[in-house]
Amino acid sequence: MPPSPANRPRSERGALSRLPAIFASSLAVLGLGCILRQPKSPPAEAKRAAPAVATQFARLNHVEWANSVRDLFQIDTSLELERTLRPDPLPAGSAFSSHAATLNIDDALWRDYQRAALEIAEKVSADPTILARLAPPLDNTDPTLRARRFIEDLGGQMHRRPLSEEQIAGYLELFQAGRGDPGGRPAFSAGVRLVLQALLQSPHFLYRVEAGKPADGKLWLDTYELASRLSYAVWDSTPDRQLLGRALSGELEAKDVFAAEALRLLEDGRARATSSLFHGQLFERERVLHAAPSPARFAKLSEGFGAAAARESELFLEHLIFERNAGFRALLSSNESFVNAELAGVYGLDGTFDSNFSKVELDPARRRGLLSRVAFLASHATSLDPDPIHRGVFVARRLLCMNLIAPGNLPPVPPQNGRTNREAVAAHTEREGSGCAVCHKRTINPLGFPFEMFDAVGAYRTEDAGLPVDTHSVVRLDGELVEVRDAAALADALAKSPQAHSCYARHLLEFMYGRPVTARDTELLNELGKRSAESDLSVKQLIVELLSSAEFRTIDLGDLK
Amino acid sequence: MSRLSRRLLLRGGGACLALPLLESVGAAKSSPAREAPYAIFFRQACGIASEQTTSEIGPEPERFWPRGVGKLDPRALEGRALDELSRHAGRLLVVKGVNMTDFDYADGHARGALQGLTASGPLVPKMGGNSEAGGESIDHRIGRELNPGGRDSLFQYVGPTDGWLGGACISYRGPGERRAPIRRPRQAYELVTGGAAQISDGDFTARAKEAKSVNDLVRTQMQALLGRAELSMADRQRLDLHFSAIRDLERSICRLPTEGEKRLLDGASYAESTRGEDVMRLARLHMDVAALAVACGYTRSVAIQIGNGNDGSSCYLDSNTGKRMENYHFVSHRRRSHDGSGDVIQGSDVLHHQVDRYFAQTFGYLLDRLSERTNADGSSLLDAGVSVWYNDHGDGPAHGTSNCPFVLAGSAGGFFKQGACLRLNSGGANHQRMLNTIGSAVGLRNRAGEHLDDFGDPSLSKGLLPELMRSA
Repeated sequence: MPPSPANRPRSERGALSRLPAIFASSLAVLGLGCILRQPKSPPAEAKRAAPAVATQFARLNHVEWANSVRDLFQIDTSLELERTLRPDPLPAGSAFSSHAATLNIDDALWRDYQRAALEIAEKVSADPTILARLAPPLDNTDPTLRARRFIEDLGGQMHRRPLSEEQIAGYLELFQAGRGDPGGRPAFSAGVRLVLQALLQSPHFLYRVEAGKPADGKLWLDTYELASRLSYAVWDSTPDRQLLGRALSGELEAKDVFAAEALRLLEDGRARATSSLFHGQLFERERVLHAAPSPARFAKLSEGFGAAAARESELFLEHLIFERNAGFRALLSSNESFVNAELAGVYGLDGTFDSNFSKVELDPARRRGLLSRVAFLASHATSLDPDPIHRGVFVARRLLCMNLIAPGNLPPVPPQNGRTNREAVAAHTEREGSGCAVCHKRTINPLGFPFEMFDAVGAYRTEDAGLPVDTHSVVRLDGELVEVRDAAALADALAKSPQAHSCYARHLLEFMYGRPVTARDTELLNELGKRSAESDLSVKQLIVELLSSAEFRTIDLGDLK
Repeated sequence: MSRLSRRLLLRGGGACLALPLLESVGAAKSSPAREAPYAIFFRQACGIASEQTTSEIGPEPERFWPRGVGKLDPRALEGRALDELSRHAGRLLVVKGVNMTDFDYADGHARGALQGLTASGPLVPKMGGNSEAGGESIDHRIGRELNPGGRDSLFQYVGPTDGWLGGACISYRGPGERRAPIRRPRQAYELVTGGAAQISDGDFTARAKEAKSVNDLVRTQMQALLGRAELSMADRQRLDLHFSAIRDLERSICRLPTEGEKRLLDGASYAESTRGEDVMRLARLHMDVAALAVACGYTRSVAIQIGNGNDGSSCYLDSNTGKRMENYHFVSHRRRSHDGSGDVIQGSDVLHHQVDRYFAQTFGYLLDRLSERTNADGSSLLDAGVSVWYNDHGDGPAHGTSNCPFVLAGSAGGFFKQGACLRLNSGGANHQRMLNTIGSAVGLRNRAGEHLDDFGDPSLSKGLLPELMRSA
């Protein structure tokens, strides 16, 4: 395997380095020598204390913070402010940036929160329309009563549970301090301004505080904590009034009410943004923006090629999940798509296209699902040729949740010299007795070679270097060897594979729970994988099932350190 | 040069002194006590252009290290990348023979970048680009133990937020706990100055007053959370970090001159640029803040990382042709391709040498800033601490663990030898001893109260490098 691309995004990471125990259990089933196993006698360097998996103080990530500000105040400066927050480090071994236990508040971020709180409070308190919405004037002219109502209402939304009398008193005291020293502002507005700064810096806003109640080795969340978990899982944002109302009434305890609320949230437009974020990170949508096809070989492509491919991927997924109510199977097998003129050219479509994206149906014999689309194919290619190695690695890691050993610095694939790309790669990586062959011959290359029917930008081809392309392969799925004739057949096989469905559920769990997958999740994931594959559960149904599990309602005490 | 004690001035408070950089914190010694030593780490990736034979280029001549060991003078540096630092030759300690450990990171870049300041193996072996370091980094350890109030040390970064090893990757709070970097120099400056930049005294006072009232309320809420008996150790640490970050605004007298503040603002316009000249401009802005931060006693350590895990995005100018080079990572491998299988980059050994020079020039800029202040006893701020330009690897294409460059500047108040190039004779890994020695120079001690000697991976031998110490 050649050295990895210089700019391979960290989001390509598929391994769960925090959970070595999981490796052994999942890989023993697969029986692959190239996959990371837990050593029988770990070397000294392996005996290290891993960070905690879970936390009772899940800090809002920057997307959640920005969305919450937007939804609470209905102002659109949140994204601009979000960019000024110092970036969080990405958790190792995860495709996602949502692991709560890795997020903290250091000096720099505190200063950023402080600055952002001041800016938001200035804007909100100085806008009579927003102020009237947040703190409606009362018939009674007592400003303290109006302030108390405002604090109870907005404070309850921002703490995501009713405030205690002590908390109300604290904010009221602050209101009076601001009102008494308005600094040239209207007195009520000045009081609100100070309260807003405090609410935006409150730990009850910046964290999802989950006290829970201990029982059976777990902390069981109360209904408010559950409402917040649900809202941030589906919307990446704060719960709305209806959801908080269900928490207040206690109805959210009931599984049917909880499932109905989860489904309601999924029908809201905010869920589409979360889905786009999840799938964008999982399938590395932005990677294609960095694809650099050779201008000499692909002269017709414009600078907008990568952006168009990324947009196609986004539209395809949104259409299937939210318009078609489709399942994971369709994500890997549907021939529907959305193309502009440039992509239509790559796909070889007849007809009239322009810069807008039109819905089309691609040739189902060639184009089945995400893995047959330009975004995946062009981002796993050199500037000249397809890259079956990294195409195979991506499928192994992201679609099948295999943990491949990362290689060190390795020699590059030599020139084709009259051979096909496949022949050159195979000769270089599958030599009997070599260390490379262990992974490449059994796992990586079989998953990558079927895509040789697509060139470096994703166009269909039948020849390579004047020779017929060979897309035949034998892959191992669910512990069985499966023969596939090409990429379309591989997509079909993956679409039917419980292992692939379970892997997708695993990614969803990690993203929506905001923590790494643990051994406790295996049973649930296997069951959901089987049901998704056999019953073609919709993605939305799959999400509701994941969120309805007991694991979603609890924190395992063993995950807290 | 000003000759007022920087501590004295800091205690004095009051008026803002918008003097040239660091002049506002110059100092006359009111006691024989030395200024508190500090360490600034400046990280380069991908090795150096030193004497080696590569399959791509063939024999490559020596272009980095001084001519021989012993006293450093301009002749010893002539023609080498280090001659960019000739004006500071008397303050340099160039150390050859620093060997990192061949931990099983399964990736040369992970092994070098994650080990560089931690001297630790991976949290989980064989994870390649998914790796995390298994221990705390020395810059964080210095800040944690020696900074006032346990304040976070500065971790500044020039590079993308993604890419190999996820962008910023050299500073760790503990095993697997990577620190978030500060990418914008302006942001670091606000931290160091307490948000005092470009705001009138009256406005600052009003802001400080209302911030304090908000902070008081937030502290009360935080204390209620911290008072919960059932908190896990990790959550307690998380909340403690947050709690300690809540600071009332205090107008620092440490400021950059107006022109310097303006440069920080302008820095935002090229913050995302991958052009090498912009990368180095941004690094210099970070250095302006770093120098100010140690001068003012804001922090006892700073880490400045250039480029992500393999510095695969920075593209420098070829000073011979004026053309843009391939990204530095490829240059260091001597090959061109997105997957490393590309053509040999002709002359890439010379290009790598040019990049080494760019780093040397920028390190020299830091030393210039630190040298601008002179204490009453004749010592400079540069000499009060130690500035360390180090590299993840010893060489280019191989990215080996042996002979990783460590260029130290400043004696840390007389701790280190100066004006010399030394070759360590200890065979095997000794890099952890280098970090122990730097930590000791800054003031870290082991449990027995002796010089720090047990920092780094538990599997490694303890000890320091006495040959670097003046008292040896």
